[in-house]
Amino acid sequence: MPQRPIRVLLAKLGLDTHTVGVTVIAHALRDAGMEVIFTGLKQTPEMVANTAIQEDVDVVGVSSLSAGHMRNLPRLAKLLQEKGGGDKLLVAGGVIPEQDAPAIRAAGYAHIFTMGADTREIITFIQDWHARQETTAP
Amino acid sequence: MNKPEKPQPPAAPEIERIQTAQAAWTQQLHAPHIAARGEWKTFTTQAMHWPVKALYTPVDLAATGFDYLRDVGFPGEFPYTRGISPNGNRATLWTMAQVTGFGRGEEWSKRARYMLDQGLQGLILEHDLPTTNGYDSDNPLIAGEVGRAGMALDSLEDLEHAFDLPFDKLKYLMSVCNAPQPVNLAMIIAALEKKGVDPGQFVLHIVNGILIEYTCVGRYIYPPAHGLRIATDCFEYIVRHHPNWQPISIIAAQLQPARANPVQEIAFSTTIALAYLDAMLARGFDVDTIAPYFHYVINVDMDFFEGICKLRAFRKVWARLMKERYGASRPEAMKLRYMSSPSTTSLTLQQPLNNIGRLAIMATACALGGAGETMTTPLHDEAHALPADEAIRVGAAIQHIVAHETGVADTVDPLAGSYYVETLTRHMEDEAMVEIDRIIAMGGALKAIENGYFQRALGHEQYARNRALETGERKLVGVNHLVLAEEKKEIEIWRLDDDMEDRQVRKVRELKARRDNAAVAHALEQVREAARSGANLVPACLAAVKVYATHGELCDAMRDVFGVHHPDSQTSGV
Repeated sequence: MPQRPIRVLLAKLGLDTHTVGVTVIAHALRDAGMEVIFTGLKQTPEMVANTAIQEDVDVVGVSSLSAGHMRNLPRLAKLLQEKGGGDKLLVAGGVIPEQDAPAIRAAGYAHIFTMGADTREIITFIQDWHARQETTAP
Repeated sequence: MNKPEKPQPPAAPEIERIQTAQAAWTQQLHAPHIAARGEWKTFTTQAMHWPVKALYTPVDLAATGFDYLRDVGFPGEFPYTRGISPNGNRATLWTMAQVTGFGRGEEWSKRARYMLDQGLQGLILEHDLPTTNGYDSDNPLIAGEVGRAGMALDSLEDLEHAFDLPFDKLKYLMSVCNAPQPVNLAMIIAALEKKGVDPGQFVLHIVNGILIEYTCVGRYIYPPAHGLRIATDCFEYIVRHHPNWQPISIIAAQLQPARANPVQEIAFSTTIALAYLDAMLARGFDVDTIAPYFHYVINVDMDFFEGICKLRAFRKVWARLMKERYGASRPEAMKLRYMSSPSTTSLTLQQPLNNIGRLAIMATACALGGAGETMTTPLHDEAHALPADEAIRVGAAIQHIVAHETGVADTVDPLAGSYYVETLTRHMEDEAMVEIDRIIAMGGALKAIENGYFQRALGHEQYARNRALETGERKLVGVNHLVLAEEKKEIEIWRLDDDMEDRQVRKVRELKARRDNAAVAHALEQVREAARSGANLVPACLAAVKVYATHGELCDAMRDVFGVHHPDSQTSGV
């Protein structure tokens, strides 16, 4: 049976309008055979969590290049769990200072890709996670 | 007896003699050298990916149909390839400016006073993201962003405080607030009135650049057609009421960091200018009156010759568009006025001192291609922290070194006539004209934004440029070449000053409780009515800001009529 491609939601929260990074990631993931949905700009954590559930994505990636990450990222993780999306892979990328990383990871983010991360590294990370899900699925 | 001289056959034209000699050189010297030694890479220009040949000669120029008088001409004359001044930088050097992050809230006034005391006459007013996106500081959506990227502007009250300045010294103020432009313009006009400033003795320069926001920067509110109408209202208001002010800047320097290649940068930014121009012509103005108001900001990136040729081609393309397509007759309407700047795109977080070298090279390219009226230099360690005094000093010194120590600005357009430079300039001009025709054929810049053409084109370039770095096709020292293994990559992010945000929130809430709210409600309805009827929005906004309607309330009144812009993947190019 043909597998459905990995579905990824890429999100921007708040007033952070830096899109070069998220655009590069979107193109790279599509080139790697994934389905990519972009939330558009100026999203609240509520809007992103709802989209993730409605679109039934496997992965949620948040691009953050503003100071709002400590406010918005944990809130999105919490909302996803509350809405039954706790099984999704949650990752973040952009400018997240090292001293904030432990709190973001503790909130439920499996990985933080800092600025300049190689897209091949991101693709592999998602594919490996997905492969583990397949093997552990009932 | 002298024998009569044998009649000589007429000499072959010079170009044929060079062709013959070049063919011989290729066969005897060049081809064997390549066969024996190879070449260490495939040579292309950095952004365009155009092949770069080993050698350019008069043969290449002739192949383009090069005609000196038509293609290059003289400085100060159409097509302005050699610059818009007849004497280059020899009467005065370009103005050396420094755009630095400019504080927040009440600090702006203090910093502005300091800069005016240092002899500066002009200032730039940048606003925070809530302001540029049309929200008041007490909007719960935007908590954490107040005053961060610039000054929070909630009401006329904020500008009354900020404009506590010696206006005998301040002669020029540039304001960047694109999406809510009529609100911002109205607040500045009202604040200047309150301070008793003679608008004829002062220049307000609004960037008024909403269309580029839709293509890459993202600080938009309303759908693009309404954005264009709003910008045109502000343009028209200034031309009618303050004709000595500057109603528009086309910031090509926002397209370049979004990875527009030089052809896209020229074509996208000029067609965006044409959208504003067309809108003004539709309101009854003529091209000779309106075209001189256009001002550009243009970046030069690390590919030296692409940068130089872009500036030369840019001037020529604008002049040709105005003269040939729009029938402009005044030279002032054909001259491309701009500020140039080295790009931050190629500056690296790693090994930041290397950026001083990069900035010097890019500033040299700006000077060689034509620095424009003004040049500004970014700071070499911008990525690390707030601008440090040392970085500001070095940034300024780079321009002085280029201007005073290298001689590159001593003669006008010194690279004119270079076989490579003229070939590349001409190629860039031709390709930009093809792209401009394509955009005009699809209905112009507004349509190209609405259907996502610009955004998708930039998205593809962003991906392609990133791939070139990841595959190593493009080498960037410190990033994928000569990388230091142990380098510390800590980035400082400006920490929120919660007190400052709380103070600003309290301030706007207190204002809302204190003012004449019936007058505000009436004024906001007048703004909605102007938005619906198509009347110029600036007078209605002016009346509203004077009764202390807030920035967010005014933007909301227009949201009620215009709706908001929600691009999807296709139209955002992501």
